[in-house]
Amino acid sequence: MSAPAEEALDRIRGDAPARNHNARTISALTSNPGCNRRAIMDAAGIDKSRLASYVGFPAQFGQSQFAITRGNVFEAQVKADGCAELLTLLRERLALALPEVSYDDLELVGGNTSPELRHARTKTLLARAAAGLDDAGTLFDHPLLRLSVGGRDVYLEPDLIAFQWKGQFHVIEIKSFPVIDGQADGEKVAAAVIQSAVYVHAMRALLADQGFPSDVVADNVVLVCPKDFSNRPTVTFVDVRKQLTVLRRQLSRLTRIDVLLSLLPPTLSLSVARPAAAVVADLRRIEARYMPECLDTCDLARFCRDESHGCTRVMGHTVSEDLGGVETVETALGLARGTLPPSPEQEDAASLLRLAWSLREECFGGVA
Amino acid sequence: MLERRIDELRTAVRLAAVAGDRVNARALRAELRRAEDAWERALTALGEPSPMPPALVAVGSLLPVREQVHHALTLLTVPAAPRLIVAVHEAFFSGEMVSARLTSLRRDEERSFRSAPYARPYYLCPALTADMLAPARGLLTVSTWSVAERIVGPLSLRVHFLTAAIRVADAVVRLDAPRPATGHLLRRFAANIPGAIDGAYTPMSVAKAARAELVVHEEADRYARDEAARRAVRLTDVQRLFGARLGLVGDEAGEEATG
Repeated sequence: MSAPAEEALDRIRGDAPARNHNARTISALTSNPGCNRRAIMDAAGIDKSRLASYVGFPAQFGQSQFAITRGNVFEAQVKADGCAELLTLLRERLALALPEVSYDDLELVGGNTSPELRHARTKTLLARAAAGLDDAGTLFDHPLLRLSVGGRDVYLEPDLIAFQWKGQFHVIEIKSFPVIDGQADGEKVAAAVIQSAVYVHAMRALLADQGFPSDVVADNVVLVCPKDFSNRPTVTFVDVRKQLTVLRRQLSRLTRIDVLLSLLPPTLSLSVARPAAAVVADLRRIEARYMPECLDTCDLARFCRDESHGCTRVMGHTVSEDLGGVETVETALGLARGTLPPSPEQEDAASLLRLAWSLREECFGGVA
Repeated sequence: MLERRIDELRTAVRLAAVAGDRVNARALRAELRRAEDAWERALTALGEPSPMPPALVAVGSLLPVREQVHHALTLLTVPAAPRLIVAVHEAFFSGEMVSARLTSLRRDEERSFRSAPYARPYYLCPALTADMLAPARGLLTVSTWSVAERIVGPLSLRVHFLTAAIRVADAVVRLDAPRPATGHLLRRFAANIPGAIDGAYTPMSVAKAARAELVVHEEADRYARDEAARRAVRLTDVQRLFGARLGLVGDEAGEEATG
């Protein structure tokens, strides 16, 4: 990142210390790649939740304590006794050979939890395993990975197991949402997969540093979830190539933050030390792209939702795609009633709207 | 009575420390610790629910928790996590084991050893990691086991799991009247041992399947552990029992001062 950009980001952030990324925030980057507001705030390391409460829209979500406990219990169960349940599953599904049971925990190195030490040890062990030496290990729990995000190095505190099989690493992610009859909640899978993609990306970066090709980490991640309504784990393989592409694009976008910054006035600042009204005015100067999904991933979503009130985008992907070229609800209603002449690019949407309007009139007649 | 004594001792320790009388302070502190231990024991005894008349209370529940853990570990013969220790206790021994008490156990044992080395016939201590000889997280062992037996290498978790399965299966065979908890425990092992629940499912078949897999790992694991045990000779007594911590020189000194 260039020095002026660094300076501009520091000014935008104000005096507050920069917030670090984790797998969750990095994966959130990819859910709405078109949002400049989020891109700038993430690059500057702004505490979004604090900013949101400052401008009057405190974030009202957070993970439920019950969900966290449930997740931890299931993970402990799968990992108990040297990953006994996990080994059984892998042996059944992959025909993993009997001698492949080695397990290394990288959460503590000699009773020490310092990230530098853990990262160094992760590097040594994974490189040894990648080189395919004898007794190089099969399961590596809690490897500490590092990723460069927007020019800063970020340690990822991962909840994953790196699983080495036939000279290739797979990321194993243990999640507590159920897979019922081979089907799981699409949104939850998507979130888990994108997080795994972050880990795949970081692991590849780590091994690439030591001269290993990228295919040493597999495109397939192993998702371990409870099966049906039981507590028994089941294994699913998920291809993360698409998510990896999105992730790479988004990460490279963070480093090209200079372009985005050049579009903004040079005095813009989101420091919470300034009056709220001034911060709101500056926030509005950065283009946002609100979508209903933002509510799940971004602390500032309520502010953006309020701002884009009256836009067709607020109603989600399907509606805004059907109404391509129609930006606001008011225009949509005008087109439907025929009070507004459609421009050439609005023709398709307008005919659809007029049809919908006539159907509605037929149904309700004069009642509505 | 005991509480007054503790308070008096605390004051005496403070005075001695202020006066710079280190020898005296150390002796007083040891005495204070003993008094506090006695106080803890008295409190625990009070807190123990005894709904049945004393004559009918099972012997197990009267044992201190460290004795209960010792029994379970002696049955298993391998380092074990608190969850497994509780499960084994429920399956084979009488009385209730409160798993919450296991968490403070290790620290108490270490403190006891530091204040009066080898005063007890055995100590409950953590397993040691093969690479750094550091305390392994959440695994308990008995100090009387050889160092090699207390070390966990990359393969050891599996080896210990299989060995524990064999011990549990053998113990089930010896039992006159198996309890539901016993069957539950054995099944937990059997579910994750290849070939243990194919065909006839008996304790013997579980042990046999576990032995069959154990042969695969045993040698490599023993080699790694023996190698680590040779390195452990260089450790001090405390480190050998409770693990060497890496880069915690300050903390170690701090523990010495407060413990």
